[in-house]
Amino acid sequence: MMKRPALGLLCGVAAASAATLKILPFESQLTGAGASQQLVAVLTADDGTERDVTGEVSWRVTPPALAALDAARVTARADGDARITATLAGAPAASAIVHIRESAKARPVTFAREIEAILTRQGCNSSACHGGVKGRGGLKLSAGALYPKDDFHWITEGGVYQVLTNEVKGARVPRIDRAAPEQSLLLTKPTGAVAHGGGQRFDKASADYRTIAEWIRAGAPFGDDSGRQPRLTGLDVLPPSLVLQNDAQHRLVVVGKFSDGSREDLTRQVIFSSNNGDVAVVNQSGVVMAKSLGETAILIRAAGAFASAGVGVTGPALSRYPSVPRGNFVDDAAFAKLRRFQMAPSELSSDGEFVRRVSLDLTGTLPPAARVREFAQSRAPRKREQVIDALLASPEFVDYWAFRFSDLFRVAIFANGLTPKFSQKYWEWIRANIESNRPYDEVARERLSAQGYGPASRHFIPYNQIGTAQDTMAEELRVFFGRRLDCAQCHNHPYESWSQDQFWGMAAFFGRLFKVGSIVIDHPVDMDWSSKDVDAKIELLHPRTKAPVRPALLDNSAIGIPDYGNPRRELARWMTRHPYFAEAAVNRIWGYFFGRGIVDPVDDFRSTNPPTHPELLAALADDFRQNGHDLRKLMKTITMSRTYQLSNRPNETNRRDVTNYARSLPRALDAEVLLDAVAVVTGVPEIFSTAVSEAGSVGQAPVGTRAINLKDPDMYYSRFLELYGRPNRGAVPERDTKPNLGQALHMLAGATYIGRLSGPGSRLATLLAAGASDARIQEEFYLAAFARAPSADEARDFTVIMATRTQDREAALREFIWALISSREFAENH
Amino acid sequence: MDAWRSILTFGVFACLGFAADAPPPLREPRAISLAPLACQRSVPALIVVRGEGLADATSVFFEPPHAGLQASIAKVEIEPPSEASMRAKRSFDLVHVRLDLAAGLPEGSYPLRITTPRGFTNAVSMYVMAAPVEAEPAGTHDTPAAAAPLKVPGIVSGRITQRGESDLYVFDVAAPGTQVTFETISGLPAPGAPGGNANGFDPSIAVYEASGSWFDPGRLNRLAFNDEPLWVLGRRTDAHLTHIFKRAGRYFLRLEAFSGQGGADYTYVLRTHAGAVAPPSQTPVVKGWEERGFTRRLEPERLQQLAERGGEGARKQPVMETYAPGATLKLPAVVEGVLAQPGDTQRARFQVDKATDLAIELETPDAAPPEFNPVVRLVNEQNEEVATSLFAGRGLCTGALNKGAMSKVVVPLRDTGLYTIEVRDLTSDLAAPRFRYRVVVRPQLPHLGNIAFSDDRVQMPPGAARTVRVAFDREEGYKGAMAVIAENLPLGVTALAAADYEEDRDPPASCGKRERYTPRTERLVVAFSADASAAPMSGPALVKLVARPIVNGKPGAAIASREIPLMVVTGKP
Repeated sequence: MMKRPALGLLCGVAAASAATLKILPFESQLTGAGASQQLVAVLTADDGTERDVTGEVSWRVTPPALAALDAARVTARADGDARITATLAGAPAASAIVHIRESAKARPVTFAREIEAILTRQGCNSSACHGGVKGRGGLKLSAGALYPKDDFHWITEGGVYQVLTNEVKGARVPRIDRAAPEQSLLLTKPTGAVAHGGGQRFDKASADYRTIAEWIRAGAPFGDDSGRQPRLTGLDVLPPSLVLQNDAQHRLVVVGKFSDGSREDLTRQVIFSSNNGDVAVVNQSGVVMAKSLGETAILIRAAGAFASAGVGVTGPALSRYPSVPRGNFVDDAAFAKLRRFQMAPSELSSDGEFVRRVSLDLTGTLPPAARVREFAQSRAPRKREQVIDALLASPEFVDYWAFRFSDLFRVAIFANGLTPKFSQKYWEWIRANIESNRPYDEVARERLSAQGYGPASRHFIPYNQIGTAQDTMAEELRVFFGRRLDCAQCHNHPYESWSQDQFWGMAAFFGRLFKVGSIVIDHPVDMDWSSKDVDAKIELLHPRTKAPVRPALLDNSAIGIPDYGNPRRELARWMTRHPYFAEAAVNRIWGYFFGRGIVDPVDDFRSTNPPTHPELLAALADDFRQNGHDLRKLMKTITMSRTYQLSNRPNETNRRDVTNYARSLPRALDAEVLLDAVAVVTGVPEIFSTAVSEAGSVGQAPVGTRAINLKDPDMYYSRFLELYGRPNRGAVPERDTKPNLGQALHMLAGATYIGRLSGPGSRLATLLAAGASDARIQEEFYLAAFARAPSADEARDFTVIMATRTQDREAALREFIWALISSREFAENH
Repeated sequence: MDAWRSILTFGVFACLGFAADAPPPLREPRAISLAPLACQRSVPALIVVRGEGLADATSVFFEPPHAGLQASIAKVEIEPPSEASMRAKRSFDLVHVRLDLAAGLPEGSYPLRITTPRGFTNAVSMYVMAAPVEAEPAGTHDTPAAAAPLKVPGIVSGRITQRGESDLYVFDVAAPGTQVTFETISGLPAPGAPGGNANGFDPSIAVYEASGSWFDPGRLNRLAFNDEPLWVLGRRTDAHLTHIFKRAGRYFLRLEAFSGQGGADYTYVLRTHAGAVAPPSQTPVVKGWEERGFTRRLEPERLQQLAERGGEGARKQPVMETYAPGATLKLPAVVEGVLAQPGDTQRARFQVDKATDLAIELETPDAAPPEFNPVVRLVNEQNEEVATSLFAGRGLCTGALNKGAMSKVVVPLRDTGLYTIEVRDLTSDLAAPRFRYRVVVRPQLPHLGNIAFSDDRVQMPPGAARTVRVAFDREEGYKGAMAVIAENLPLGVTALAAADYEEDRDPPASCGKRERYTPRTERLVVAFSADASAAPMSGPALVKLVARPIVNGKPGAAIASREIPLMVVTGKP
């Protein structure tokens, strides 16, 4: 008997040589008559590139009596363990093992497994068809066959689903006819015998037709309803990611994992689709075809499960891949992918580039000219780390991250009880947490479960009323889990495995939130707490069933909630221990530093939006957990990586890269940071007033207050901040950093740019008063704005221009400053 | 002056024609602020009262008058127009007042008013201190280089002159571990403070050190900050901060208005103390009778107090016994306890042998709402909720369920049996040793509750009349009358019973068993009428309004009174 490899080893690699050949999957199971498995042969060249050679290899089965092999698909004939061998000239042969069991036993057709597979593969239960919110043409199926029982009910009993109630609409007309199976709508519609909005899906000669007809003839059973029937628990996609050269093809194999530990080839029973057809397309046999350089994901939907595989399309392989120093573990994952994609990272950033970037990223503040000079002149071997440490310990760090989290946690008067007193208390709470570097999980727990009058409870009372349970829950999940469940509020999520019941079960944790006076409580379940004349019970009702909803965790794990108590404490404990919490946190912070998340948008984790670097995400999340959810430590890890410190100058291999961190990509400064930067460079502070009228109640932030330090930004009108995308914090903010016409006009004529170029106290006035030369002035402004000295060309051009403007030197210098602060180099972090 | 010139008894309404046909009101003089806000006793001082209609000011008086306080007007001038006043199209007067402050004058606030021939102003308060009061230096001092020196202990009287201004003070700490307390008093009631409004001055303070940063070696970094730990409408918003300095050295204190307001009226007192000084109580100061506030004292003698307010003072009431939680009570009774552990529920039982109308009252002696929010439930033997101290109702417009925590509930108990009162916090997570409560369970006693007077001054020309409304609450089924007596009326002024027009009231915003939680409020009107021949007065007289219950044809003892300055002024009605 052959020695079985360790479980989980999914590929068999031949002995080391210049090129290696492997078969995917290395080990497979065939159970039941006619069971089969698709195989793929992959050749790995000595430069690490991989190629699908399935059609080029010679296949052999040993012993031949056990299985048939056709077009790389092995089909069971007799019980036993068969070895599959693939041979290709120039590479050692590779082999795989197939365990064949019960090859003579026909497997009964079950609804959940076979029928749902057909409905999925034919697209019947897609969100665009019967899997949509209301179904289609009177038939409602669960999207992706997530709820086989429901689907079975609608097909075998008939009736029309209604979104807002559990009541069945219309007459109950079954979609199957057990007496005359061929007359069943389930067959006449998809074959086009009866008009079908979805057109013909298969014909009478197809295997799908035969399977459904056979199932109906057998009495249309649901199957084993005892819970013993294995459930599909997930999909393995082989290989999990692909790197293809342009115009190359590669086959994917999909293996289903079942609750009893068994595995089965589902390649023929799933739907493949590409997230970006311009980069790569995929056919329904799972063959991916590269179209143009870039990266995308292939989405795979089976009945009851989703999966994805990353695909990168690269140019020609590099003749010699450069050796790149490693900063820390972040680089391992990032650079490994770059190597696979045959993309070389850019050089290390210059000192000026680095110090400006890290200063803006950690503190939202431009480095002072003196610090830029000092850093450039330093020969200290760890000077970058020293600067990072200094920035992390700076009060400006606290300012900036209090601002960042005020955005995320929505500090706004209307969002916090309609009084600036409340919103400022909430702001102070955030600031104190940042200042003390309180572990993020503790912060989350307090925010999620706050009761009483404390500052963390103020966000539960937007407009001075308790927010709805569903909105509150959706926001907390988005903030702390990076997931958007909103769709499941009204119906089962069309693309994800979130059900309406799960949504409301989670919402119920917030369903007892109640406001008495100005305090927030969780109303007891078992007490009226009333004046005995009104129905004063607090209940959250399911919108469809109208039944009271009890709190239930997203993973359906058991939870005990006392009738009198705070159910959110349990939720907060569960959430902050869940893997989603750390990965959402690190992804969000990563997004701040790179302009895009490993999952992007940062709060839209879903199976159809996979991470670009899953290993990196996992490693960062693990490190974050290991370090006690320490945000500063996380930020240091990120900024100390070479990946973060790469230059923004592209090389030939990474010029088009926008997702793999092969170089630093320019990011528009946020409105507040940009406005502060203008004030710092010009030396003229912004004045923030609470209104434009002269009423007695009009206030003004003290002169010199930075935009990021406004505690209640919504109190202060600012044309500039509106134009540059300051969010109103009405919802979890998504900043719009796209340029617009208003910005262009403001740049030309707005007070922010025009009104502060000179004047008393300005940087220019100070330099002029000190008798500074033109060259000195140019250098000072370059260092302040760009953290670099002017280039030789820039210095020469400046000298030439100033020579022509001796009569109006100050006006010329004002124009020079305007040119600096209105440049892209200034307005971006790069 | 006849002290009993008029007795007005509720229920004797005279419909006076002038009530509905009142003359247009005179433009009364108005005081807005004064500066400096604080003066040292025993040191002659000069203060300036800023206001409107004060050009012909004649005198100053304190209310109540104090022998140790003498004031006279030194001069009156028109405030030079500023950009703000011109934009507002208003002009302001500055009344310079010379003060003599006796050495023995107690520290505290002293409300003063300015008199003119056309009347007198509202009251504005000045503060008398025992220690020297320094004036804030002129000009801005908002940078470390320009910071004004601050003594510890010490007192500074200053002003946030314009919006966006922050006053920076510098002080030295000699030794590590030094504790300093900083206090401010606002000269202009702020939003949230009693009498405050949106234009008020809510001071905020913060302590800084010039520890610098990588970006700015001179940066001031905040060490401590104060704003009200609890912000509740009706409470003072003055700042109070005690800080322990870890290191000796130079520190800064920044004082500014919350949200950055400023102006001529934004005056303040900044006071420092060596060591810790307890902050002023955050619970509202109750003057006179308070029927339902959570911080009113529920004395064991409460029944006697209620009987007096019900005109039945002669009938002696029992003194209530005080019990600990877990006890079986003999009514009437007081239960005292502490909710020191999260989720604590404390109970006491009592037997009801006949139908009884109960009143349950709740006091929070230390921490009060919104910090500590106890709820009382009354449950019967079947563990059914019979009553709670939460007033529940549904909004008539939206149907939304509202609940309000109340300090008193009256319950008609018709079923005999064993009852339990439960006390717990509205939250399930919060608890503290300061979460002390006192619950009174007693039979209902009809009485007059809160009594409120609508005005704090009356002024009118000869031939005119003015009204003062007196609102009173009928508690626990009080069915008697209430009389208001006006004492000390000046010559030529009469006080009459009146009724004035009352707007139709909107129905309550929510339905609910309101009678259990709120009293029936009624009001009577006292009309003051100046004879046409009455001589204008040079200053106001203090008229006293006294309220008494009248039950079964007998007047009870005086239960409330209010002194109101009244003046017959020059000018046409």
